[in-house]
Amino acid sequence: MKSNKVKRIFVLLQCLFFLIASHSSLAHHVLGRPSYSLNEDSNTPPSMAIETQIGDYFVTYMIFPAFPKPSEPGRVNLYVTRIDDGSILSVPVSFYVLDDKLFSGWPLLGDPVVPEKIGVQNVDDGIFRQGFVFKERGSYIIRAYFEVGDEPYEIDFPLQVGKAPAVGPIGFLLGLLILLLVSVNLVQRKRIARSKFQKEKNST
Amino acid sequence: MTFKSSNSSSRIMSRPYIFRHLNKVRWVCLTLVFLMLVLIPLLGIYQHYVSASAYRNLDGSEKLLFDSMHALSSPFTMDPENDLDALKGTTWSGQLFGLKITDPLAIVGQMSAGLEVYWPFVLTGLIPILLTMFFGRFYCGWICPATFLYELNSNFALWLKKIGVYTGDRKFDRRIKYLILLLGIIASTITGTIIFASLYPPAVIGREIYFSIALSGFGGGTLFFMATLLFDIFVSKRGFCRYLCPGGALYSLLGRFRPIRIQRVVETCNDCEKCNAVCEFALNPMRDDFGQECNNCTACIAVCPQDALTFVVSLKDLDNQGPGYCSREYRSNSDERVNEK
Repeated sequence: MKSNKVKRIFVLLQCLFFLIASHSSLAHHVLGRPSYSLNEDSNTPPSMAIETQIGDYFVTYMIFPAFPKPSEPGRVNLYVTRIDDGSILSVPVSFYVLDDKLFSGWPLLGDPVVPEKIGVQNVDDGIFRQGFVFKERGSYIIRAYFEVGDEPYEIDFPLQVGKAPAVGPIGFLLGLLILLLVSVNLVQRKRIARSKFQKEKNST
Repeated sequence: MTFKSSNSSSRIMSRPYIFRHLNKVRWVCLTLVFLMLVLIPLLGIYQHYVSASAYRNLDGSEKLLFDSMHALSSPFTMDPENDLDALKGTTWSGQLFGLKITDPLAIVGQMSAGLEVYWPFVLTGLIPILLTMFFGRFYCGWICPATFLYELNSNFALWLKKIGVYTGDRKFDRRIKYLILLLGIIASTITGTIIFASLYPPAVIGREIYFSIALSGFGGGTLFFMATLLFDIFVSKRGFCRYLCPGGALYSLLGRFRPIRIQRVVETCNDCEKCNAVCEFALNPMRDDFGQECNNCTACIAVCPQDALTFVVSLKDLDNQGPGYCSREYRSNSDERVNEK
């Protein structure tokens, strides 16, 4: 009886482990259209397409090639249209890059975030195209900035260059925490229930 | 001491067998919601693999993902590339089998940030709003993905205490969360951004799970959520939900006059205090104090050995009915009254 119980708990913990571990296998796939193109000019679907709304505009962001690598050229395509009439934005868009590190920009904990301008692009055939070459592997943020009238618009998009680490420090911590919570709740559930009743009795 | 006799019995529904097991159903519900948050991004990736006809280019683990998602979805869909669009988003705002549903707090946030009422969006919150008006703060107990972890965490805190680690159980004013709701609305209006999305645990969790699968990494939201877990352990039991959560505040307000609520049957109650012991929000069911904070989690119903807690149709709670008629205190008081006569 007891061994069955232990076996069941073991199986549950195993399932949880695989659930957490499976994240690493998805490291370079994102919720956009996966692509297997080799360079930034390939016409195959982009690796990532993010659509968002900001103010009066609808913005779509795409990255070529599928998996940008260090020291290899890549390209960001940005499509900006008005929500109400679908007209294309005609003012220039500035592109910046920022490091997307843990705690970056946090007071005391991280390095200050200094955006680096990588270019200013005019619309070309309805698209703002910005090329890039990153020498180092890492997580970056691409910031697109434009002004319409007196209104400034600033949008941040993620960019992963090279392979992402399988499990980051936060992921590891969180996995550990969930594992601890679930296992303690399963193994100690009767003792916990008794403690609740005792605590209530003692408090009255 | 005077005791009010109960006039509730006429309104009390005969207690169906399922009531005692509703807490288990709730845990199944919470687990399913949590798993859905993991499953939706995985299905999204599978959908993109399908649309890119990428199967032969996938490596081993990706093929495993493709095959498992295919096995899961194939009984329900013939055309995953398009049909899986029916399942998107998180509990903050999403699409469930084609039905668009939005958290009422997201709607309040959007209205205050945009200073306009966008009716198509507001209508997506209609179902949660109506359900809350009927069942009260049920979202917190039955749906919220954070509750799943918070309840495990509060049990974990008890275990820590048992093994000698300090844990906190400070009491604060429950009205703080209404202030936070108000401040959040004002801040959203001033900044033009939906502030609640950054400090509302279910929104944060949904987003972080999505990011972790889609973008292979957790963000600052995870740290914020872990901080709330630590707050619950070391400062106040379920402190975030009870004192700080703006969503909890909104749901409490919407469900203040809910017609479906839990009530104590004083005739069968024996004052064993088990209901108070299991109440995550530290309410006092044994003295009829449920209020607008009760999230109808049914833990008190499940634990009651006398079946003295049940659902009733009533717009307000009963006043304190005094000791249960099966309790020692009630019996000794009755004896005293008989002796006095």
